[in-house]
Amino acid sequence: MSTPPAGTAVAGPAATGTAAGAGPQAAGTGPVPARRFRLRYAVVGCVLAGALMFLLAEGLGSSLNYYIPVAQAVHQRASLGSSHFRLEGVVEPGSVRDTSEGVDFTVTGGGVAVPVVATDSPPQLFQANIPVVLDGHFAGSTFAADQIIVKHSSQYIAAHPNRVRAPNGSVR
Amino acid sequence: MTTIAPPADPRLAEGAPATGPDGSARLRATLWTLGVLGAVSTGATVWLGIWVTPPDKVQGNLVRLVYLHPGVAWVALYLAFGLAALASLLYLWPRTRSLVWDRLAAAAVEVGVVFTACTLISGSIWGRPTWGVWWAWDARLTSTAVLLVLFLGYLALRRVPAEPHVRARRSAFAALFAAVDVPIVHFSVLWWRTLHQGATVLNPTLSPEIHGSMAWTLLLGIVALTVDFAWMLVVRYRIGLLEDRLGAEELDRAIDARRAEGGAA
Repeated sequence: MSTPPAGTAVAGPAATGTAAGAGPQAAGTGPVPARRFRLRYAVVGCVLAGALMFLLAEGLGSSLNYYIPVAQAVHQRASLGSSHFRLEGVVEPGSVRDTSEGVDFTVTGGGVAVPVVATDSPPQLFQANIPVVLDGHFAGSTFAADQIIVKHSSQYIAAHPNRVRAPNGSVR
Repeated sequence: MTTIAPPADPRLAEGAPATGPDGSARLRATLWTLGVLGAVSTGATVWLGIWVTPPDKVQGNLVRLVYLHPGVAWVALYLAFGLAALASLLYLWPRTRSLVWDRLAAAAVEVGVVFTACTLISGSIWGRPTWGVWWAWDARLTSTAVLLVLFLGYLALRRVPAEPHVRARRSAFAALFAAVDVPIVHFSVLWWRTLHQGATVLNPTLSPEIHGSMAWTLLLGIVALTVDFAWMLVVRYRIGLLEDRLGAEELDRAIDARRAEGGAA
């Protein structure tokens, strides 16, 4: 009693709407208008998929990159102006100074250094020589950051428990 | 699973165990073995990860999530969704077409969705103290969130009432479409600049950046979660099989009832 959808649904599933999928039906039973209908669906689907990919590539483009490295940002400073973006660089040792509003330091990368004025309390792993991603904008020669994010590496190195002082000051 | 009784419904002809709803003794033994192995290895990972391995030079004790988070992601992306894609292909391939593959894909996706959610949650918990934020819309995190939504869509699609083979074909295409995101998630840290760090072990040069007891615990964690996944997969597959058989039996009963009504009239 169960009605097997002979021919129409089972014969062509491996290749929807393509000429190859329609091939076995040409033996005589397959109605021509249905085949043409399915082909039209495939064409419309392909066009839509292509348009979607194009829009995604155009729209997302560089925004798929979470940040701009210091060297590139300095190179593009004129075009960036005072627009908001995320800047990535390594915290220069000895440059960190606590201020009443947050922290001042310098980020380096690719042989370029940019002084940063941050109005955000830094995350607990914030320390010298660690890569950071800063949300903010250029203000003259400095970068005004309103958020500091630590970007830790993929390396895991055991710390000697009696020797290492953690960034928050506790001895481990 | 050795002998197959003549099935009442041809749609369930494949892989129906003849030993009743409790399954065969061999299945039960497999489940028991997997369960014990999974529990012991997961417990050992937790013990090693929390009490035995040293703190990290940069991250301190925050590093201990490394023994869980990548393993969970490994199961979700490569095992669960990889298996779902493979099973879907095997269903679509006419020579191997069988509802066994459909059921396997469904079970794998369901477990995979749980593991993907756990990946996002554990990553978020790790990100707050290390990065300083719970979430960042970088390519790795966003593509993983999209992956979760895609496979939730797959599960929703399976809920649409349809004849078993129609549903299987539909689901197989959906699974293959969703699985396109798996390599995007994997390579996102190479293709784009992300906040998420690159791969520690499966990096382009395949030179692990973790050593000693930390590396072994990481490996044990991956093995443990793989065993846990296998256990869940078998359990979920069996539930799916029982659900299908129950549905077929109810259909038969309803048809018999209608026939009886027809005879009485």
